[in-house]
Amino acid sequence: MSLLRPDMKMDESFYKVEEIRQLTGNTFSIKLPKARFAFKAGQHISLGIVGGNQSREYSIYSGENDENLEVLVKEVENGYFTPQLRRLKAGRMVEVHGPFGKFGMEPENAKTGKFVFIASGTGIAPFRSIVRTFPDIDYTLIHGVRYSIEAYDSHEYESNRYVVCTSRDNKGTYHGRLTSYLKSCTFAPETQFDLCGNSNMIFEALEILKEKGFDRDQIHCEVYF
Amino acid sequence: MSALQIKAEDLSVVKNNNKTVAFKTLGCRLNQYETDALVTDFSQAGYELVDYNAEPDVVIVNTCTVTNQSDQKSRSVISQTARKAKNAVVVVTGCMANNFKQKLESQENITFVVENNRKSSILTLVDAHFSGEIVHPDQLPQDVFRYQPVRKSLHTRSAVKIQDGCDNYCTFCIIPMVRGRATSRPVAEVLESVRMTVENGFKELVITGVNIGRYEDGTVRFEDLLSMILEVPGDFRVRISSLEPDGFGDEFVKLFAHPKLMPHLHLCLQSGSDKTLLRMRRMYDLTQFRRTIKKFRDVYPEFNFTTDVIVGFPGETDEEFEQTMEAVAEFNFSHVHTFKYSVRKGTRAERLENHVAEKIKVARSLSVRELSVKNQISYFASFIGKTQDVLIEKITNGIANGYGQHYIPIRFKASGAQKNTVHSVKLTEIIGDDEDCYLLGEIIA
Repeated sequence: MSLLRPDMKMDESFYKVEEIRQLTGNTFSIKLPKARFAFKAGQHISLGIVGGNQSREYSIYSGENDENLEVLVKEVENGYFTPQLRRLKAGRMVEVHGPFGKFGMEPENAKTGKFVFIASGTGIAPFRSIVRTFPDIDYTLIHGVRYSIEAYDSHEYESNRYVVCTSRDNKGTYHGRLTSYLKSCTFAPETQFDLCGNSNMIFEALEILKEKGFDRDQIHCEVYF
Repeated sequence: MSALQIKAEDLSVVKNNNKTVAFKTLGCRLNQYETDALVTDFSQAGYELVDYNAEPDVVIVNTCTVTNQSDQKSRSVISQTARKAKNAVVVVTGCMANNFKQKLESQENITFVVENNRKSSILTLVDAHFSGEIVHPDQLPQDVFRYQPVRKSLHTRSAVKIQDGCDNYCTFCIIPMVRGRATSRPVAEVLESVRMTVENGFKELVITGVNIGRYEDGTVRFEDLLSMILEVPGDFRVRISSLEPDGFGDEFVKLFAHPKLMPHLHLCLQSGSDKTLLRMRRMYDLTQFRRTIKKFRDVYPEFNFTTDVIVGFPGETDEEFEQTMEAVAEFNFSHVHTFKYSVRKGTRAERLENHVAEKIKVARSLSVRELSVKNQISYFASFIGKTQDVLIEKITNGIANGYGQHYIPIRFKASGAQKNTVHSVKLTEIIGDDEDCYLLGEIIA
């Protein structure tokens, strides 16, 4: 039975945490009920804890039509906000605003385009959202992490479309930095590139792609901190 | 009738009120516009507009919070206001009111703190106060476009607000937190506002908002709206307030062939370093910015670009700063509004590493300013011997002041010419530098 009086309405931006899904020792996803807003795969939201005074932006990790709204979070050691998120229990309320941002996939492009997604760490989030939303999309996902355990939810991607570059172990598809792998690749001239990750990775990847002759307008970036 | 004259109906209302109001505005053109719209509201309601030193009954301080310096200025103006106008109703609004609402509400020298989205209803609040009604600002309607077209203004040119808020979330910027999400004013309302502002006698309109390049009403984008505005009948010219360097294409460039659209853009570069631009989470790189500038100058070689630059952004190396200097020189901006980076609480850049020491920021800021002045003199000097159509903004001791099409300040002997009229002026000489730099000319028509 609802504790709310019939004339009381829950704030539309409040969501009850359904699950904290631990993916590695310091990375987890927060599963919330289905989004009450329409969003485009690739967009981000701002997330705060009800009663708290801070919020952070996170790319949406779930697909446009999924039953849960989900974000991917890496806990920052000695950080202020992410440890609080990790300690959230099912039933706690969070505040969600959004969606925001122009980064993402237009349905028409998803049908016809050829895409290379380049992500470092939790920068994989928007690409999982895109792949879940457009399962038939023609993509290759290149994911740079330190250890292969950080290949979050890798079973969801077709193995021939997912390249995990591991810099600290040799259990990935490629042992070495993502940018080293990128240098060794050849891509079709019409390829569209979507990059999401820290600014240093994006800067290096941009330089590599420009050296390979791709126009800047073929490359779309979302800096992720 | 001149835009700045009070119309007969205003005068009759003034007699019925006897209250005086003063305004203080800090920050951007959008704030200036919103103040101008409030001036129109109060003047139509019978309030007399006075200087804030003249013991007004009401003082409205429209604040800014974009940098630390803006906060300091806003605080200082509020304190001065409260000290000088001890018995006045003091209303604090604007972005600082959003950013520091609780703190400002606790100050005894402030009567009301009104957030941006309720700013357009300040007259209702003040009228209620004088009528003895108890109205809290949070009870006012929320509408960022409720402003009526400017009739009585503190300026010769009038802004027309088409958009508010921003979703870009640049890492240094507090504006999305204090202005809210991007929202666009419906096309019909914008066009009606343009028509009425022109009818009110303004000869120059400035299209304004927080991120106007992202205007979107159904299928109508910014350049579509601008095209419609230019087709509104009347004798007026159009300027565009600051613009983000992304999101517009070749059609936008073509629009500048229209005689009503002035050849000047304030295109925000922020940094000439691609690495810094990424850390700022800007939507473009230097190559794309260069391409945009080239598109314009290939068609309009004298096109005037001005810009904003932030120096000392966290992690900015000497090399990255030099890239900014090179970009400022290459793009020949006639003015660079230089900001020393200052931490805005709650932004992502607050938590970035390698914050730059203040003395380095000061030195970098000075370098950009010196280069900006050099650019300015070179750009202004290139107009000597040419003719500009100048809208007279004021006449002091027989000397008319105004701006030509390219937004160059110009002075000339008025020779009977009136304020708020446009005259062809042949430019003869450059005087001064930086903020005081202008071209001297002779009226020819």
